[in-house]
Amino acid sequence: MAYASVRSGRAAVRPFLRLFVAPAVLCAFAFAAALAAVMQYSLRAYVPGSLEAGGFTLANFAALMRPLYARVFLDTVWICFLTALFTLVVGYPLAYALVHARNVALKSTILVIAVTPLFLGEVVRTYSWIVVLGNNGFLNSMLLKLGLIDAPLQFMFTQFGVVTALVHVTLPVMVIMLAAALSHIDRDYERAAASLGAGPIRVFLTVTLPLSTPGIIAGVTTAFAWTFSAFATPQLIGGGRVNMVANLVYQLGFASFNFPFAASLSVAGLVLTFAVLALMRAAARPLERIRQH
Amino acid sequence: MPNLLRLVGGATVTAILGFLLLPAVVVTLAAFNSRAILSFPPEDWSWRWFIKAIAYDDFQAGVRNGLIVTAWASSIALVVGAAFAFALDRYEFRLKRTLETVLLSPLVVPHFTIGLGFLILAAQLGFARGYAVVVACHVVLVLPFVLRSVYISLRNLDPRLELAAASLGAPPDRVLITVTLPLLLPGLVSGWMFAAILSFNEFTASLFVTVQRTQTLPVALYNYVREYADPSMAAISVMYIVATATVLTLANAFLGLAKVLNVEHPR
Amino acid sequence: MVSAPAAKTTSGTHGGGQVAVELASVTKRFGKITALDDVSLTVRRGELLTLLGPSGCGKTTLLHLVAGFLMPDSGEIAIDGRRVTDVVAYRREIGIMFQNYALFPHMTVAGNVGYGLRMRRIAKPEMTRRMADALALVKLAGLEDRKPRQLSGGQQQRVALARALVIRPRVLLLDEPFSALDRNLRGSMQVELKEIQRKLGVTTIFVTHDQSEALSLSDRIAVMAEGRIRQLDTPHEVYRHPADRFVASFIGDANVLRARLERIEGSVATVVLGAARVAVPTRTLEGSAVGGAVDLFVRPEDVRVAAPDAVTAAHGIVAAQIYQGGHIDLYVDAPEVSSGRILLRVPSHEAASPPPPGTRIGIALAGDVAIAFRSA
Repeated sequence: MAYASVRSGRAAVRPFLRLFVAPAVLCAFAFAAALAAVMQYSLRAYVPGSLEAGGFTLANFAALMRPLYARVFLDTVWICFLTALFTLVVGYPLAYALVHARNVALKSTILVIAVTPLFLGEVVRTYSWIVVLGNNGFLNSMLLKLGLIDAPLQFMFTQFGVVTALVHVTLPVMVIMLAAALSHIDRDYERAAASLGAGPIRVFLTVTLPLSTPGIIAGVTTAFAWTFSAFATPQLIGGGRVNMVANLVYQLGFASFNFPFAASLSVAGLVLTFAVLALMRAAARPLERIRQH
Repeated sequence: MPNLLRLVGGATVTAILGFLLLPAVVVTLAAFNSRAILSFPPEDWSWRWFIKAIAYDDFQAGVRNGLIVTAWASSIALVVGAAFAFALDRYEFRLKRTLETVLLSPLVVPHFTIGLGFLILAAQLGFARGYAVVVACHVVLVLPFVLRSVYISLRNLDPRLELAAASLGAPPDRVLITVTLPLLLPGLVSGWMFAAILSFNEFTASLFVTVQRTQTLPVALYNYVREYADPSMAAISVMYIVATATVLTLANAFLGLAKVLNVEHPR
Repeated sequence: MVSAPAAKTTSGTHGGGQVAVELASVTKRFGKITALDDVSLTVRRGELLTLLGPSGCGKTTLLHLVAGFLMPDSGEIAIDGRRVTDVVAYRREIGIMFQNYALFPHMTVAGNVGYGLRMRRIAKPEMTRRMADALALVKLAGLEDRKPRQLSGGQQQRVALARALVIRPRVLLLDEPFSALDRNLRGSMQVELKEIQRKLGVTTIFVTHDQSEALSLSDRIAVMAEGRIRQLDTPHEVYRHPADRFVASFIGDANVLRARLERIEGSVATVVLGAARVAVPTRTLEGSAVGGAVDLFVRPEDVRVAAPDAVTAAHGIVAAQIYQGGHIDLYVDAPEVSSGRILLRVPSHEAASPPPPGTRIGIALAGDVAIAFRSA
């Protein structure tokens, strides 16, 4: 029902509407303009030695097809996929514990610990991982001390290192989305299943897990999108040997000043992200029907 | 639940929490190491890296710039986001859904794209790369969080409270001031807080739009790490972690993070 | 039960029978749904009028139209003779109490109760005095500094009532105020509300779907269904002389028995059931043919177990016996005259104990008030 408490008379006068919406429109405009700037630059030629761009050309997109660059895209997608998968596996038990814990202090502790990495900023997080993964770092020191290895293992500059750090970065987002979905599942469903003779594991597999599917989908898609734009982590831990799209864009822009090409990379990246998200959505549609709410 | 399951579950969760805490713990150990080379365990303990970090010019400038940018960006985002969330909840108008989608899309658009976009836009429009561009970029980046936070709060507000106020003689503006806003306050504050923290820590887009003069702290830290390997960085990280955890714990105690993040079971 | 004396139906009891609220041909639509269809209603000053009906009948819509939360699509609304159709809610001087009380959670009891007074810029000393009076009226003095969440359900309701009354509204609107309370509390709150309402003489419109609540509290009841008022009358009249089939089924329990229309003499018709003959008003028998089947509505208290020499209307087998304290409900299967079970209500103190389940009994019609409708 639309209540007339803010209306006077029968005509639908909506006070403040323009006032409330105008600034938002401005912001949307600014954002759209920024994206348009990127798209428009991707179609312009690179003028070496100058920050200005040349005339219309499709050369940038053609250059993308080269194996060197195509490879980076594939690597990025692969890393995003791995990250999303592991984050889901690691994040689900945590979200479950967060929602089902009865002790309020425990709940708060889990929540704060889970969410804090989100607010530390990429550089601090990534640096902390460098300290853990480096040749003189924590992991290697411990393994050496325990006598499990003779020489330091190489974690830095590997996909393993990058993915580990990315999982750490993405975990808070996944946990939040999963916990949100889990907390909205009526406990009575689980109780009904238990009363019908299902043990805790079966209750989880047959009731909780299927009903949490929308949360899983939301979490995985968000994790994928987030990871795709990762920069500091692959830059610092990958050290040039593990390159994701963001790193490439930065190099082209600030090392070579080839902004048009950087722009075309960004556009391609955007298209790719949306394509993968759409694909995930489509694949997940049959799963979504499980939820009866 | 059978005890074995509980045990395994508890162990798993503890291990995961340990994974989450590992970097923070390790970095703290490193920060107190008196030697310049990262090593474990530290041989001698010292405060020297903390002192060096605090005194470092670039870090100080970074904090200053970061605070300026964050204060502006989060406040602007709060006003814009709260107003729009209100319009979203209460009114019907053309292009409502389109506008909402556009404003929420920075959540899925890579930050490097947005940063690059603002950089190119500023260059083409002839704007100098000063604070304005950085603030504009940050506003766009944090707006979705404010929008979501305030919108959830609005949805949780019982409309009958406003009707009751009207029935008691309060015109719309007084209803807003005496009933709606006070009850929205937790949502507004937490939205602003999220925006502020995310803006202060934002790195990728900032890397593109800032210059030496407007460098925010994360960018300053990045530049430092690329050149020097000493534990000053660890010291700053520790200060970061302590500050963030404190703010979050306080926020949880006063505002109930769970409710704001929508992870609470609806009563 | 608080009963309304029958005398109140005649005009000239409350302040000269003046009209406090009037709705004239009000229609309200929501998209394709017509919530109120050309409704006209007059509420007398000082009376407690109940809008009664099932969910979706339009009673809450009507209440919200009087409150000013909604504007009608057509028709006029007046309060105390003044046209308020276009007037916004905050200028109508009404008081409303919601089902969930809607107490401002961020204000104390004092803050809540004083809210309307603050909006009207009442001076401090008078404000304090009126608030104290209001809280004393609802028996909540001393709780001024509590927050709503520190109060019980019953206490919260009293605060909501005090908040609505302290501003001396022209009309008090109550939206299913007791449905959230448990049964015992409900009963005592109903009595208290009625006392307060009488004491203050405030015109009250009460919305409920609980017909026993309506019967016990109201001076008049407007029975509503599908956006229309089916009958507007005192509780007694609505109960004993329902205007149509809907009202008859909605109010109280009723047995529907298949009878035969024997003859019509002016405004009285005779209906035959077994060996019994019953007189019913003709007005509700529109469309029925003499000699044809009609549905006879009889209240449970008007149906008796037939004594051996009495005139029996029907025969049946006792299916169940439910002890209700003051009376016993007897359910009887009599498929020839009723598709459902016939309900008899037998006072507990009657000498003979009622027949146990399985007994074949005869049913007699007692009382002279019955009503019949065209066969459905």
